[in-house]
Amino acid sequence: MSSERVLFAFVIVLALTLNVGFVAGDIADVSHHNVYELYAAMVVSLIATIMKFGDRSALGSTMLATSLVADLQLIAAAAAWGLYSQASGEALNAHQSATVISLAIGALVANVVSVVLLIIEMANLRR
Amino acid sequence: MITSPGRTRHGIFILLRRLRVPLAVLVLVYAVTVLGFTLVPGVDPQGQPWRMGFLHAFYFVSFLGTTIGLGEIPYPFSDAQRLWTTAAIYATVVSWLYAIGALFNVMQDPLFRRIAHENHVARAVRRLREPFHLICGYDDAGSRIARELSEDGTRIVVIDIEPMRADTVDVEDLSITVPALVGDASDPETLLLAGLQHPLCASVLALTGDDQVNIKIALTARLLAPDLPVLSAVRDHAAHARMAAAGADPLINPYDTFAARVALSLRTPSLHVIYEALTTQRGTAMGDVPQLPRGLWVLCGVGLFTRALRHQLTQLEIETVIVDNVLADSCNEHNCVQGDPTDPEVLRRAGVESASAVVAGTPVDIDNLAITLAARRLNKKAFIVARQTQRRNAVVFRAAPADLVMLSGYVVAAEVLRVIRAPQLASFLRQARDQDEVWAAALLERMRRHIGAEVVESWSIEFSAQATPAVHRAWAAGERVTLGRLLALTQAQGEAAHAVPLLLRREQQRWLLPSENTVLLDGDHLLFCGRAQTRSYMRFLVASQTLPQLDAPETSAALESH
Repeated sequence: MSSERVLFAFVIVLALTLNVGFVAGDIADVSHHNVYELYAAMVVSLIATIMKFGDRSALGSTMLATSLVADLQLIAAAAAWGLYSQASGEALNAHQSATVISLAIGALVANVVSVVLLIIEMANLRR
Repeated sequence: MITSPGRTRHGIFILLRRLRVPLAVLVLVYAVTVLGFTLVPGVDPQGQPWRMGFLHAFYFVSFLGTTIGLGEIPYPFSDAQRLWTTAAIYATVVSWLYAIGALFNVMQDPLFRRIAHENHVARAVRRLREPFHLICGYDDAGSRIARELSEDGTRIVVIDIEPMRADTVDVEDLSITVPALVGDASDPETLLLAGLQHPLCASVLALTGDDQVNIKIALTARLLAPDLPVLSAVRDHAAHARMAAAGADPLINPYDTFAARVALSLRTPSLHVIYEALTTQRGTAMGDVPQLPRGLWVLCGVGLFTRALRHQLTQLEIETVIVDNVLADSCNEHNCVQGDPTDPEVLRRAGVESASAVVAGTPVDIDNLAITLAARRLNKKAFIVARQTQRRNAVVFRAAPADLVMLSGYVVAAEVLRVIRAPQLASFLRQARDQDEVWAAALLERMRRHIGAEVVESWSIEFSAQATPAVHRAWAAGERVTLGRLLALTQAQGEAAHAVPLLLRREQQRWLLPSENTVLLDGDHLLFCGRAQTRSYMRFLVASQTLPQLDAPETSAALESH
C-alpha cells in the first residue's frame, strides 16, 4: 500500500461522488442542485486530471482522456450556469437547469469510466 | 537516445508530468481563494449584504493572481473581503511564481532539452521531401562534404556526438537548412531518428574519427536498411575486413587514397589530370600535369600514413627512407633512420640534402611544420609533402614551404564526393589505372581538344526502349547504329559539341574508349565526357522521336574509316 496510490484513487473516486451528488435530484428543478457542489466537483476533477499527467501506458492515456472529457463537461456546465444566472439575474428556469445538469451528467459518465479503468488497473496490478 | 521506439516522444507529456505538483498547487490555491470570495460577506452601495458570485470571484482572482489589479469590483470591498484579498494576493502570487519557476526549470532540464532537440530533428527529417545523405561525424571531412553537397542543392542530415560541432552546422552558412542531431552515431536509435529508414535516405556516410564507430554504423545500416549504400572512412587496415564483412562499400582509407594518388601521379601523370577533371566540381582538362620526382623519398614518422605511402612507392621501385624515434619491426639500417625527425641533424643523416622528396608525416602538426622548415633549409629543390591533422592549422600550413599539404579529412571528403557525384565513373577510373602514360596522355590530349577549358561533365546513357526511343526505332527499321553516327549526330546539333566516349559496358564486359565503328546494341551502357551542352544535345537526341539521317554521307564514311 502506498500513500500515492491511496491519494490517486481517493481523488478519482471523490470526483465521481461529487459529480453524482450534484446531479442527483430533479433535472429541471435547480433548487435540487447546489452550485458549491458543482464547483467542488470541477476542482476535484481538475486535480484528478493533473494527477494523471505523464502516465504513458495505454490505460493511463485513456484515463487522462476520460478525465479531460469530465473537465470539459463540468466547465461547460459551470459556464452555462454563470451565463444563465448573469443574463436573467434570477434563478434558472426549467430548460436552463436541465441544460446545466445534463452537461454534468455527461461528466458523470466520463467519471464512471475513469473509476472503472482505475479498478481494472488495480486488478492488473494484483496479478 | 532517451526514448525507446514505439513510445510517444512528445516532450509535452514529460513537461506535464514534471509540472504535476505546481499545477495541482495552482488549481488548489485558485479553488480555495475563489471559494473564499463567494463566502466572505460584502456590502452593496445600498448597504444591503451582498456576496460575490462564482463568475465575479473567478474574474477577480484571475487578475489578482497575475498582479494586474483592476481594483475592487463590482462594489468597493468590505473589510472582511479586503482581508481575504490580502491572503489571496500572497497565495496566488507565490503559487504562480512557483509554477513559472518550475516551468523554466523543466525547460532548462538537460533531459527535457535533449528530448526537445531529438523531436525537433526527427520532425525536420520526417519533413524531407528530397533524397538526402546521412552524414555521421561533422569534423573536417563531414563539414566539407556538407558544404559541397549543399552547394549542389543536395539535402543532408548531420549527426555528431559533440554538441559544439553539431552547432557549427547552424553557424556555417550552408545554402539549405540542415537538420543536425547531437547524438552517438554508434547507437542505432540515433541513426533511426536521423532518418536511416526514411524512404528518401540516399546513403549513409560513416565519417566519425573512430574506426570502431564507423564499423558499427555500417553494420547497423546493413541490417536496418540493406539497400542503402554505406560509405565509410577507415584508417586502420585491420578494420577493413570487419567493414567489408559488415557490407560497407566502398571503404575510404585516407592514407591509402592519398598514397594511391601519389603513385598515380608518379606513374601516369596525365591520368591524374583526367581523374581530377572528371571527379571534381567545376574541374577542367587544362590542369597541369604533375611532375613528381622519382629519386629518394624521405618519409618522416612511423605510422599508417607513411606505411601506405612506402608500400605504393616501393611498388614503383622508388627508394624510401623512414625516419622516426621508434621504428617499426620491418625496418633495417638500409631503409630506416632512427632519431627525432624534427632534428635537422637526423634529417641530414637520412639524406634529405640529396633526397628528391620529403614527407612530413608524423601525427603531430607542429612536428610536421618543423620538419617542413628544416627540410626546406637543407634542400631547396626537394618536393615537400606535409601532413596536416587539424583543420584549424590550415593558415600555418599554407604559409609553410610545402609543395603539397595532405589533410586526411579533405582526402576523405574528396573521395566521398566522387563516389556520390559520379558513381558510374568508378569503374572507368578503376580500369584506366591499369593503362600506361602514353594511353593517358593521348586521352588527355583528346579531352583538351574537344572540351577545351570548359568544365568537364560526364554522363552515361543506357540504350533501352524507354530511355532511347530514337535509337530503338532506328533498330526496328533495320538500321545499324554505330557510336560514330551517334557522335556525329550530336555534333551536328551545335558548335563544338564533341563528346568523348569513355567506357562501354555490355552485359558483364567493359571496353575502355570504345571505337567509333562500334555497333550499339540493346542494353549497352555508354559513359561519355564532354561539355554540359554536349550532354544535353545527346540526351535530347536519343530521347527524341526519330534518329535523323546524317546530312553529309561522306562524314559518316570518313568516321567509319577513322
